[in-house]
Amino acid sequence: MFADLSMLKVSHVYKYFDDQCVNNDICLELKQGEIFGLLGPNGAGKTTLMRMLATVTTPDRGDIFIQGESLSSKHVPLIGYMPEERGLYRKMSVVDQLLYFAELKGLSRSQAKENVKKWLHQLDIVHWADKKMEELSKGMAQKIQFISTILHEPKFLILDEPFSGFDPVNADMVKDLIIKLKNEGTTILFSTHRMDNVEELCDRLAIIHEGRKVLDGTIEEVRRNHFKNEYDLNFSEPISIPEDIKFRKLEQSKSFSIRVTLNKEESYQDLLDWAYKTKKLKAFGEYLPTMHEIFVNKVSNR
Amino acid sequence: MRSIWVVLKKEYLTRIKNKTFIIMTFLAPVLIALFYGGAIYFATVGAEDHSAKTVYFNAPYWDLESDELAFDDYTFIPALPDSKSMLDEIESKKMSGWLQINDKDIHVLDSAELIGGSSFSVTELQKLNNHLKTRAHEYLLMEAGISDSTLRLTEVRGGVKALEIDNEGDIANSNTTLKSAVGFAMAMIIYMFIFIYGSMVMRSAMEEKTNRIVEVIVSSVKPFDLMLGKILGVALVGLTQFFAWIVLSIALLGGLSYAFSSDANSIPQEANNLPVHEIISGFQSLPFVDIIVVFVLFFLGGYLLYSSIFAAIGSAVNQETDVQQFMLPVSLPLVFGFIIAQSVVFQSPNGHLAKVFSMIPLTSPIVMAVRAPFDVPLTEIIGSFVVLLLTFVFMVWLSAKIYRVGVLMYGKKPSWKDLWRWIRQS
Repeated sequence: MFADLSMLKVSHVYKYFDDQCVNNDICLELKQGEIFGLLGPNGAGKTTLMRMLATVTTPDRGDIFIQGESLSSKHVPLIGYMPEERGLYRKMSVVDQLLYFAELKGLSRSQAKENVKKWLHQLDIVHWADKKMEELSKGMAQKIQFISTILHEPKFLILDEPFSGFDPVNADMVKDLIIKLKNEGTTILFSTHRMDNVEELCDRLAIIHEGRKVLDGTIEEVRRNHFKNEYDLNFSEPISIPEDIKFRKLEQSKSFSIRVTLNKEESYQDLLDWAYKTKKLKAFGEYLPTMHEIFVNKVSNR
Repeated sequence: MRSIWVVLKKEYLTRIKNKTFIIMTFLAPVLIALFYGGAIYFATVGAEDHSAKTVYFNAPYWDLESDELAFDDYTFIPALPDSKSMLDEIESKKMSGWLQINDKDIHVLDSAELIGGSSFSVTELQKLNNHLKTRAHEYLLMEAGISDSTLRLTEVRGGVKALEIDNEGDIANSNTTLKSAVGFAMAMIIYMFIFIYGSMVMRSAMEEKTNRIVEVIVSSVKPFDLMLGKILGVALVGLTQFFAWIVLSIALLGGLSYAFSSDANSIPQEANNLPVHEIISGFQSLPFVDIIVVFVLFFLGGYLLYSSIFAAIGSAVNQETDVQQFMLPVSLPLVFGFIIAQSVVFQSPNGHLAKVFSMIPLTSPIVMAVRAPFDVPLTEIIGSFVVLLLTFVFMVWLSAKIYRVGVLMYGKKPSWKDLWRWIRQS
């Protein structure tokens, strides 16, 4: 329903630290209501890019547009940002802290109070309200941290490594909230190097390596684009591959199944014919590389 | 504007609600009152030993009455003919001593001795000596035929009185000493305020950095607004505390002075000798409105300027121990201002050097405060304050730049070179 509305457009953005180019000609486009994954090894420039999107820093060259307007500090209420380096005021109470962040993001005092109440109820932590941060456990603080990011109901959410540092229970909570917010129409950009999160959550993704975007698209597109003519064959009983087989064997992990890579001139039809004749074929299908494989391939082959 | 207010409110309220703040605000005046009350009490009452003491004396060549020597709790009686029993009495502490004045010529008292003199304190010995010398002086005058009344006729009192022409064109007392004291006291308050509350701003910026809160903050509010909110919020905390201290101190000191005045005898004799009336009339003649206006302007201006510098330091460093290298050069101008205030301003409060340093924004809060009671031309005050204010706005802007970059730099201790790079970078 939001498919065609652009939430964010990053156009040829460059950022330098001293003489080092940390973001090199980055272009991205996020549609409203989608979850976008930003992948890349450590030091690729993900955090630098996200800081620019969160108005913490500005690009040295290039433009960022949000809902068609050039990004500026007036868009702060639209944006929620959870940095990788996170923390809260240790001496402040949970409720004061949340109110402060909400008010900084432009909510009125009464609106802020209402939202804080709502979220504390929703996560069933009303009884923490008057506790000081230093009295809370790390897991509790993580919950508060996430609430503080989404309290002002941002249209565009930027999460830098949202699952790192969170315990599994809280990581699941964050995951569920991300899906919930997406369904409410929030556009979400998050960085991660955990591929299971990517495949589970992302509508689209981009991989950044050494400051450059090396690919982007939907998971389906990306995997299909990296299809290397590989096929998986499963057999009902162990099978030994004859010496004279013309197909190149890639791997035989178990005796029941093999993976075959075809040359350009070979057709999968011939492979299927051969397999069919063994009379033991149970399943036949193309093998699309996992995001993990694509990621490793992209960041190590350059 | 709105976010400045949000930050200001948060900085103010979290500090005001803090237990340490409440304790310090109420305890400090009590401690100060106890300190001064105790000091006054011990100075007037506690130190004295009230048991009566008797001393033998003989002055064979001098017509000296025993009551001419008496002072405090000491009385003097003529010596007994039997020196052995007198010495026994002194040794057994029945008597406090034996004063012998065997000088034939009282121009030079070099044969006067006090046996058992160790029971006399230094001040008591001095009193005794003064008594003896005054008596000898009077004795010699009498011998020379000069009477008491003649002597009083020749006495000279008073001295040169400094006068000035006030705003109404009348000639009035200029009270230079009092003015210097008032100016210096104001400079001292400014100095203390800058350091106490300036470092509070610094710690506030540092807390956000070390607790990793800063990225969220910077994504929500412009560093300039954040800085200004912090500085103004802490300033309000300081003013609240100062105001509370003043009110509490007045209440406490009022209570104390009431307690003391009900026991009038305990006030030392010296207190009555002070020119109280002169001081009071001197105070009344000071240009109070001018002084207070200048004080408030430069008190706030100085604090604002320095706390914006402190905020930049706080956002640049990673831990308290790194602060020192930046604090020293920053606090030097303030200390320098004090030296200037002492040497130059006291000698010529409206001289060239005083004028120059009351224009330079880093020293002007101190130097101008000291000059304030000495009729500084209005143009100078306005000029200096405008310079101070502009420098403050510039410093906040500069600090905000350092903040924007500095707060995102973790790890290594920054150098001056880094700071300069950050300013250019952002």
